Amino acid sequence: MSNETTLVKDEAAAPENLSDPAWFRIRDLIYQVSGIYQTENKFYLLVGRANRRMKVVGARSPREYLEFLTARPNRDAEMRNLLNEITIGETCLFRSMPQIDALRKVVIPSMAEAKKKISYTKLRFWSAGCSTGEEAYTLAMMLLEETQTTLKGWTFDVIATDLNDRSLAKAQEGVYNDYAVRNVPPEYMRKYFTKSGSEYRVADSVRSHITFSRLNMKDDSKMLFMRGLDVIFCCNVLIYFDAKSKTRTIQHFYNALMPNGYFYLGQSESLYGISDKFHLVHFPGTTAYWKPAEGALKVGTP
Amino acid sequence: MTTTAIDRLRTCIANIDAMPTIPVILRPLLHCLDQPAEEIDVDRIVELISQDKSIIAQCIRMANSALFMRSKPAETIRAAVMSLGMWRVRDLLFSNTLSKVIPHDRWVVDPEVFWRHSLAVAMVSRKFAEMIDYPDPEKAYLAGLLHDIGTVVNCMVVPDEFRAAMEKGSREHIPLDEAEQAVMGFTHCDSGRILADAWKIPADIGDALELHHRIGDPERGGTLVALVNLSDLLCRMRDLGYGYVEYRQVDFANEPGWMYLLIKYPAMAQIDLARFTFALDEYAKEVSDLVASVFSS
Repeated sequence: MSNETTLVKDEAAAPENLSDPAWFRIRDLIYQVSGIYQTENKFYLLVGRANRRMKVVGARSPREYLEFLTARPNRDAEMRNLLNEITIGETCLFRSMPQIDALRKVVIPSMAEAKKKISYTKLRFWSAGCSTGEEAYTLAMMLLEETQTTLKGWTFDVIATDLNDRSLAKAQEGVYNDYAVRNVPPEYMRKYFTKSGSEYRVADSVRSHITFSRLNMKDDSKMLFMRGLDVIFCCNVLIYFDAKSKTRTIQHFYNALMPNGYFYLGQSESLYGISDKFHLVHFPGTTAYWKPAEGALKVGTP
Repeated sequence: MTTTAIDRLRTCIANIDAMPTIPVILRPLLHCLDQPAEEIDVDRIVELISQDKSIIAQCIRMANSALFMRSKPAETIRAAVMSLGMWRVRDLLFSNTLSKVIPHDRWVVDPEVFWRHSLAVAMVSRKFAEMIDYPDPEKAYLAGLLHDIGTVVNCMVVPDEFRAAMEKGSREHIPLDEAEQAVMGFTHCDSGRILADAWKIPADIGDALELHHRIGDPERGGTLVALVNLSDLLCRMRDLGYGYVEYRQVDFANEPGWMYLLIKYPAMAQIDLARFTFALDEYAKEVSDLVASVFSS
């Protein structure tokens, strides 16, 4: 380490040093503000993306950039810019296989069993902050597949909402490029997409299960109408909310969910310090927040 | 476990002359490390390392790896030990000696996967212990490291049945102890207990070996069992398990071990389990490197 640093006289040309303690402080700050945790083995991503912002604002070292995030007057705006960089390009279809597997192998079978007992054979999913629709289509395709097996004879809806009209229009179009479909398993590709030119169009059989609509999650009067959901996905959206609106939105999600319902955040997002009503539950390679049934044992902290 | 099954296990063990024996280096090492960090005798550790050429080589190689970024290469064992730090040296020593407990061709499980899991549980148990202010995190580490040592006995004593149990576990995505119970009538926890007694491993660590899957009454095993039980579960949910996926939901807040620790340790209530879980992926890399370094020699 010392060899390298002594070679560099001009700080502006300092190499990206992944072990600079300032990165750890930036990581902790991001976690505190947004609930997104950057593991050390993915630091190169954080550093790469923060470097773009550092160039824009003219920060010469991670330490100086930390100051931009904490001490400068426009620190909130800069944090937002950084979060934008960090979450950019994160949407694609079938983004998190562990999440999909947890739904297919654990969550759906147990829901199906519980609901069958009361002869209610319908599931409702919500993709909150659906952006350009990748998550909603992924969920609908996965559920369609399940209606061949575990959910034979069942019906389901996927509700997809976003604040941004442009994103919603793109979502409704349901046309994606190579990059967006790179994780789609081949059998899904065959069944649920038609290729036109360099693009892929989602099949109507999938679309018919999804309702896209505009919704502002900070609008309490609208949020009150969302009820009876089994599973809610809200990935990398709440990170932009301040603590107060985050807490309120989470409460809405909690109310919207049926008992035994599940709330999914982004792969490295956490609700710690935001809500203790949900139970953090573990599945192989992923976590989710679970709303226990009324009267269920409620102890512990996670 | 039924009495007939345990009798059968004991008979099997009695009739076999190849019961794993405690590695020569392990007992002094256990003794040496069973005390507060500041009282550990570096010279004694260096002396122990000096007995084994492959361990010497590994320590020096690791101390000189890019990870430690020394300005001058470490040439003596002492320099390597100082550079790595006591705990990392201990990690290397344990993994190295324990990986040689049985001959390589007797393993029914992939030994690398097995040690990756053991070491990960050891590290998580220690970290967990530190977070809740348990006074002896190193003991938690040791209990974590040894918790599945019973599988080694199973490899030696009932290899075919144990292989069938592993296959059942991975085919049905169920916990290993459930598969063992179904196939063999006993589990690695039972064999672990017998080995712990044979090796005269401290009683509370022996309890962790025996009870980490059947925590039932946490009072019996106490903190150590609860720590190992939870760390084991967490590792298995984060791709640091037996090499196969267990499809199920784990609600830590309702795990008996969690509830027990929550009552006993106030710091438990402050644990950010989500963050701890994410950070586990950081250990995964370190653990894999360490295990790979043991098996590359």
